[in-house]
Amino acid sequence: MLEIKNLHVEVGGKEILKGLNLTINAGEVHAIMGPNGAGKSTLSYAICGKEGYEITEGSITFKGKNFLELEANERAAEGVFLGFQYPVEIPGVSNMNFLKAAINSIRKYRGEEEMAAVDFLKLIRAKAAELEMDPEMLKRAVNVGFSGGEKKRNEMVQMAMLDPVFAVLDETDSGLDIDALRIVADGINRMRSPEKAILVITHYQRLLDYVIPDFVHVLSDGRIVKSGDKSLAHVLEKDGYAGLGIDESAA
Amino acid sequence: MTEKNHFEGKPYADRFRSEQAALPNSDIQWLNDLRATSIERYEAVGLPGPKVEEWKYTNLSALKSEIYRTSKPSVGDNEKNIDEITLNEISGSKVVFVNGYFDQNRSNIIESPGIKISSLNDYVKSNPEDAKTLFENNRSKESLQNLNLALMTGGYIIEVDEVTKLAEPIQIIHVATDTAESNSLRTRNFISLAENSGAQIIERFHGENEVNYWRQNVTRVQLADGAALDILQTQTEGNGAIHMSETDIRLAADASLKHYSLNLGGKISRTEIKPTLNGKHGNVELRGAFLARDGAAHDVMTHMKHMVPECESDQVYRGVLDKGGKTAFQGKVYVAKDAQLTNADQSNKNLLLDRNAEANSKPELLIYADDVKCSHGATVGELDQEALFYLNARGLDNRDAKALLVEAFIAEVFEELSIEPVKENYLGLARAWLKAAV
Repeated sequence: MLEIKNLHVEVGGKEILKGLNLTINAGEVHAIMGPNGAGKSTLSYAICGKEGYEITEGSITFKGKNFLELEANERAAEGVFLGFQYPVEIPGVSNMNFLKAAINSIRKYRGEEEMAAVDFLKLIRAKAAELEMDPEMLKRAVNVGFSGGEKKRNEMVQMAMLDPVFAVLDETDSGLDIDALRIVADGINRMRSPEKAILVITHYQRLLDYVIPDFVHVLSDGRIVKSGDKSLAHVLEKDGYAGLGIDESAA
Repeated sequence: MTEKNHFEGKPYADRFRSEQAALPNSDIQWLNDLRATSIERYEAVGLPGPKVEEWKYTNLSALKSEIYRTSKPSVGDNEKNIDEITLNEISGSKVVFVNGYFDQNRSNIIESPGIKISSLNDYVKSNPEDAKTLFENNRSKESLQNLNLALMTGGYIIEVDEVTKLAEPIQIIHVATDTAESNSLRTRNFISLAENSGAQIIERFHGENEVNYWRQNVTRVQLADGAALDILQTQTEGNGAIHMSETDIRLAADASLKHYSLNLGGKISRTEIKPTLNGKHGNVELRGAFLARDGAAHDVMTHMKHMVPECESDQVYRGVLDKGGKTAFQGKVYVAKDAQLTNADQSNKNLLLDRNAEANSKPELLIYADDVKCSHGATVGELDQEALFYLNARGLDNRDAKALLVEAFIAEVFEELSIEPVKENYLGLARAWLKAAV
């Protein structure tokens, strides 16, 4: 589904990713772990097409399409969802209107009709209920005044609504208490299916107790330095990055 | 004769002398005298130039290079213009002015107990004593106010009796047509609300594009104890227009004023809002947005005077500037020595959609009491790139994402507006303007 080859990414003239390779197939859940500054967020932004993340070498192919030729919104419409580490507050735009605009933008890109208002309401109520979000929050401005946990829950509601085929979750678990973590994990697990794939980016192993990955990769200094199955996460938990010979302070 | 830093007053004074006989009600001597003293007062000062502090953001040299002729009663087909800006969902009275003259046929004044709506020119004829008193009680030293008084061609008077609460808002519609080319359109209005009465007035200024006219509208408002007034203005003048609107509001105890405005027309617009809180527990809320591009300049000046203790005022203004736009917000707050426990807030945020634009913001707080809460804030910024990417990542292209963010920025100003058709209209006008921007 996603194929990243020899990816080099510069931010502000500084090379952050230095030849990263990663292949993710449908049905798989991958986890990328790594110390601060290893390039984890850069990878997620590069996949999703954020401005200022300059690809100097390599390729990103999604379902056979050259992703580097597509704008961020087009990548979203192709079925990629980015769960933000720090979801952005948007004053004056209600969650409802935000999601309506998002769904209809994606439909427009795909040459589909706008979703009928009734269907939209039904869908959003169902998804909010599944993820235990208070329906009142749907009327509030996007993420404004939301707690850290509420913001992450909101990301999960958005993901459920947009129904992507591939999700990149950038430290979606950071700053969450155990209840919020369970909700986020539940949101991710709901998405698991043979047709879909998920990339979980995390600093800690804790989320991986709830979302069991098929593959775990360790990212250090812009490259994947080790790959393995879920047991690799436990090794990291026990011995830290130093156990793999990674100097966390140097990163 | 002219004051320092002012443009010479003589050209418009000469214009007045040649036009005087043709002005409405020129057979009424006391009115002629009033006009004559007003033009003298104007001539002694002249037009404010850019070195006058309050006028430094609005350059009136266009009024110096061309001496506008006072408009004549208009003939012809204005229906389209009027229809365009009438909110048909609202069934209350409609008062229409075409090129500065009250248009009886196109107006629809609904008789209702406790409320009187009159054309100024009729009122001067039928109630000369009251009219005289009204004018005398509302004299101003400002030269432009005197020019308006000398050359006014019409206006309205709204009087609401005690405890009367209007069920429907009154619509005041000012249109300028292509016959207004090189004309000045000067109107003067009086609104008075008696004890514990309430009214909502929708005031709309609109004009034909490519027509060069100068509108000057002056409104004096008296709110008695416990009276509540909402004024909802939209300014969609033609792109060749110079628009001036000045509203002076005196509030007695427990009176409240809500003033909303949206400025997006004209080549130069100047909106002055001057509330004076003269009685305890008065409350003023000012909300407005101004949108400028392509050489258009909007200047909103508020002058909030807290004369007595325990009043509240709150001002929220937002500007959106596209390429070549210029805006200014000048917010003066005066708190008198005895006006303890005043609560006065003010905020002005501006959004630049293009680097080639100029947003000015000048808060001015003059506080002579020591136990007050006053705040002010001013910002000029660009669209939040993080928010844009967030929307992109959810599928919105740049154009839609920008439009959504800018609309939200403006919508916050009008959030509390309770009259749904007016709110929708504000947002619709802003949306149409934005469509060409992003």
